[in-house]
Amino acid sequence: MILLAKVALGVASTVAFATVYTFREGVIRVDVDESRAGGSHVHVWVPAAAVPIAVHFTPSRHFQDAGEKLEPWLPTIRQLTKELQKYPNADFVDVQDGAQHVQVRTRDGKLQVDVHEPGQYVHVAVPIDTIEDVAGEISDHIPGA
Amino acid sequence: MFNRTSKFGKAGFGKAGLLLCTAVLAAAPAILSPVAFGQTSASKAERWLHVRVVNSDNKGEIVRVNVPLELAESVLPTINKEHLHNGKLTIDQAHLNDVDLHALMNAVRNAKDGEYVTVQGSDQDVRVAKEGGRLLVHVKDKSRGDHSKHSEVEVKIPMHVIDALFSAGKDELDIVAALHALAAQGDTELVSVKDQDNTIRVWLDSKNVGD
Repeated sequence: MILLAKVALGVASTVAFATVYTFREGVIRVDVDESRAGGSHVHVWVPAAAVPIAVHFTPSRHFQDAGEKLEPWLPTIRQLTKELQKYPNADFVDVQDGAQHVQVRTRDGKLQVDVHEPGQYVHVAVPIDTIEDVAGEISDHIPGA
Repeated sequence: MFNRTSKFGKAGFGKAGLLLCTAVLAAAPAILSPVAFGQTSASKAERWLHVRVVNSDNKGEIVRVNVPLELAESVLPTINKEHLHNGKLTIDQAHLNDVDLHALMNAVRNAKDGEYVTVQGSDQDVRVAKEGGRLLVHVKDKSRGDHSKHSEVEVKIPMHVIDALFSAGKDELDIVAALHALAAQGDTELVSVKDQDNTIRVWLDSKNVGD
């Protein structure tokens, strides 16, 4: 009985530790809602810590094209994410054009893009740390970078 | 039974408690992070450049852009694309009609405050002046006839920002140096454009949201 309790507590602690580790960087959230008949509704929540790990283990050949296009912009992305961390709650771009509304802002340390237009709503929220980590992982895949 | 519980309490719970403490300690940085408290690390001295474009046609387009000067200053040097390199913009001499911008700015810098250009025409009024350490350009376009359709452009740039802008080489504008100089400026309006359909405003303040 005591042994079982110890094992149960050990498992519970490990699960708690793994959960905290996985979600320590928050989640990447993508919501797409089309309000027309038959429109799609996509809601994706991904633990942010999992993405750089997934990128790390992805074979380099899959990043050849993206890496070449991204390479000149990697220093900019790194610097931008570093600076954005100083502004965890700020509005950067807001465009309203009739019924269309686009917002680029940071909320609670996440870079958030919201696009509202008649019949469609897109929301993307990515922790700023994750953008930096993914950029770093992609640069590791670029030969000579 | 009682003894067993007591044993569990002394030895078993000690190890389990250690594991729980480990989990809590692992979670602490996430729980106690500044973001969790909703704190911002932005300092009081931060300066924001704001751009607002309002188009008053039937759709009523509004564009608001808010950029921290510190962010722009540190990100711009990393962009090397076309005419922009290391925070400096290369001027294409072909588009300047042999006007020596540096010599022109030197002349303005050394001149006393006053009106340099005043043109009052039937289509346009133009005024270029230096006042209180700022270069002022005011253009009023009257070509549309009706007074309500006149457009007005007003640019007010601090001279030390212009100095910083022209502090690079002959064919270059140092954008980063100009932003740095601008950051030392108090709250000020830099550009204002008004016409029948559009209002454009560029200004500097310490708020992280536009009006």
